[in-house]
Amino acid sequence: MSLESAINIPIDSEQSVPKTAITINTPSKLAYQDIKDGLSKWRIWMLLAYQDIKLRYRRSVLGPFWITLSMAITVYSMGYLYGHLFHTSLQTYFPFLVAGMLAWALISTQVTELTDAFIAAEGLIKQLKLPYSLYIHRVATRNIIIFFHNVLVIIPILLIFHESVKINSNTLLLIPSLLIVYINSIIYGLILAMIGARYRDIPQIIKSLIQVAFFLTPVMWNPSVLPPNDRYLVLLNPFYAFVELLRAPLTGLAPTLTVYMMTATVTAIGAAVAFKMFRHYRARIVYWL
Amino acid sequence: MASIELQSVSIEFPVYNVNARSFKKDFLRLATGGTVAETTKQHVVVNALSNINLSLNHGDQVGLIGHNGAGKSTLLRLLAKIYEPTHGRMQAEGHISPMLSLSHGIEAEFTGYENIILRGTLLGLSRKEIAEQIKEIADLTGLGDYLAMPLRTYSSGMIVRLSFAISASIKPDILLIDEIFGAGDANFMEKAREKMVSLLDQSSIVVMANHSDDLIREFCNKAIVLDSGKVKYIGPVDTAFDIYYGR
Repeated sequence: MSLESAINIPIDSEQSVPKTAITINTPSKLAYQDIKDGLSKWRIWMLLAYQDIKLRYRRSVLGPFWITLSMAITVYSMGYLYGHLFHTSLQTYFPFLVAGMLAWALISTQVTELTDAFIAAEGLIKQLKLPYSLYIHRVATRNIIIFFHNVLVIIPILLIFHESVKINSNTLLLIPSLLIVYINSIIYGLILAMIGARYRDIPQIIKSLIQVAFFLTPVMWNPSVLPPNDRYLVLLNPFYAFVELLRAPLTGLAPTLTVYMMTATVTAIGAAVAFKMFRHYRARIVYWL
Repeated sequence: MASIELQSVSIEFPVYNVNARSFKKDFLRLATGGTVAETTKQHVVVNALSNINLSLNHGDQVGLIGHNGAGKSTLLRLLAKIYEPTHGRMQAEGHISPMLSLSHGIEAEFTGYENIILRGTLLGLSRKEIAEQIKEIADLTGLGDYLAMPLRTYSSGMIVRLSFAISASIKPDILLIDEIFGAGDANFMEKAREKMVSLLDQSSIVVMANHSDDLIREFCNKAIVLDSGKVKYIGPVDTAFDIYYGR
């Protein structure tokens, strides 16, 4: 809700959006060019993403495997605790929770960190002409790399609970799922990063809303606990679709058709909004920083 | 062939203070409408550059002269395509290399060598080009074994050496230089000057801002006097200094 209203608000500098009268370079073309250049400069954002992670764990003994270890500590203790609290069988609940937490960790960090993507890159943006989409790729890629560290915590689960979770051909569906998540990270990352740069309260709002979303989305609890009449609430939650997109292959299941339809809709709407906003405000971003 | 063409270009900066930037103000504006909207809608706009007409061609080595805040750095950022004109149009052909700040893409925790790779990549060098040039860059810095140490152990002069050496390894058509000299001892300055001369000779167009008149007299064949965002004069360097100093 807050996002939509932010988009509709007439931004006061709207009148001074550059009227680049250059015959060939319309705003659409420049926005398209930025996205294209962002993709072609993959070497830069791969390096920056890799450096970000390297930097974070420099001088620590375990290095990036701290990511894995802290994730393991969180999910194993949560799985054990909530499994007992909810009186469910650990055999099914534990893998469900661990896979769900892995998915949630990726989605939530994408949302919160992408909101800061332009603010964090202010220094570079003001010194070098690089495509704006490059900074989005940098953050999105960084979080995917972190996901690959995190995903290791599922391995012991697959061994211990081999009766309820299996590695099978559905596990391979993780790859297209990650691709869909990545594409959406770029699309919504552009939207969030622009709003975040323009309105400095938004990153804070997003950080608290994502906490609420965690409890509203079936990560810790199974949607089957809801009465049948209320299940639509879960199905309408886009976060649920994305969590399920990753959780299902991780536990050896295929995501349902509903999940694919929901994510496709979210992607299509996002792409349209992102391009429209980016076309309109791309040239202003540097002035907002 | 490199060229730069500016036609009545202006740059207006919206300056948001902490309040005006917040979402609350815009929300209140929506919710209250009318009178409040009138007052809150006005944020300060700085005309950093106004109505600039400029045409630079191959062989132009231009010095920017002006007081602090006259728009030198803004003009350089405009030419570097970091700022896009709010009015007017600009066309630039050729590969542009900005040397606007020596500190961007510099990571204190990384070693000198790692920083060469990072910054080289940011400036658009391929892996192969970096590998080919890394020895030359290392020699130019004169830092020796220090290059294997993290940058946080460097003095500020050493950081200047490193970043200058990396930036200077790019061979652009259009070279933009902000006031980057300053730190660095006499020995390095001599080396840097030699490198600059060869860099300037290789570039098709050079635009530099520098507070040192001597540097502009030495390196430039043209000068632009900027005064509060307007071009006051374009022409030979000596005349430009006469106008700037009001002689």
